[in-house]
Amino acid sequence: MRALIAAATGLALAFALVLTITALGSPAGTTSPKPLLTTVPSHP
Amino acid sequence: MRRKSGLILLALAVFFAALSPLLRWYAFPRLAKVPADQYTTMVLEAKDATLLDYDSFQAVKVPKVTIVQTLKGNVEASEKIERTAGRDVVVWDGLSYVQGPDGKMVSKIPERYIFDAHTQEPVHATGEMVDGDPVKREGIEFKWPFLTEKRDYEYFDAQARVTAPIHYKGTQNFRGVPVYYFEQTIPWTKVPFPTYMPVKGVTAETVAATGTTRWYTTVRKFWVEPVTGAPVYGEEIHEEELRGGRLLEGREKVTAFSGHVKMREDYIESTVALVKSQRVLVLWMTSYLPWGFLTLGVLLLALALCLEARGRRPADPAPAQTSAPEPVTA
Repeated sequence: MRALIAAATGLALAFALVLTITALGSPAGTTSPKPLLTTVPSHP
Repeated sequence: MRRKSGLILLALAVFFAALSPLLRWYAFPRLAKVPADQYTTMVLEAKDATLLDYDSFQAVKVPKVTIVQTLKGNVEASEKIERTAGRDVVVWDGLSYVQGPDGKMVSKIPERYIFDAHTQEPVHATGEMVDGDPVKREGIEFKWPFLTEKRDYEYFDAQARVTAPIHYKGTQNFRGVPVYYFEQTIPWTKVPFPTYMPVKGVTAETVAATGTTRWYTTVRKFWVEPVTGAPVYGEEIHEEELRGGRLLEGREKVTAFSGHVKMREDYIESTVALVKSQRVLVLWMTSYLPWGFLTLGVLLLALALCLEARGRRPADPAPAQTSAPEPVTA
């Protein structure tokens, strides 16, 4: 019974971690102020 | 104490073993996405190309034609579309600016490409366009999906505004990066004149009014890094002709552009370096961490079982009492 509870705890923690990370996601950022180029850049 | 340690190890074993598939098949598809605020530029060149001289209306050989391509993520527009689409969306405002050998503009074609940030499938929303013409893209453009497969894809051609298959032609190694090679051929197709013409006062409408039409064919080649789905190199054998109408003064057709367009060397180097670093990031989520966690889970489980087995082993019997030899008396 104790082994079952330990396994369930491990499983629950794994789910909680993954769900939290995916829910947080990543910030969208902001649109770059750089223009759409109409000149040839000298380097990347 | 030993039993408690065994239970903790078991919990950790299940934690890591469960984390492995969860990371690969739940977290990765949700976390891997094209950032909405990306800004990229690309310079391509066609050396010894043929270009139409708009003064004489003759095709002339030129040393070089340069194409500057910019893609800018429009975060505000993507957030607005996301509210109704209900998924992560990327809006790329792009410009393909073509410059002749004299530095003058040959053409510039703006476009707006809207797609799903995770799958790269097109998303249809107001504002999707090529050169001001509303379009409804099918298939991919510019970038392949993460974990690209060895199969043909549908690729949108912005010039012809059509979607056609781009064929998988094999696996290669491009400057140390394993890549899938794709090729698409667009046969001669009548296409609209660009909105921005290189001659002042001349518009797409005035040219079209003369009865002259614009035709185009291309062979598009991409070397795609399959983990990220990012092309590391591209080429295009591109031809354009003007056909018929009063502008050609009796001639059947005249070449407007003909050239083998290739990425400029410094851009190839920077693209390869960028894709190599991004590839490692994706591999951490799809391979290194899932396999590492699974191995760790199995090892911890083995250790937990070992501890449990030792805890259950019956105690060793007490050593038998050996009596000291009695002295022998004669």
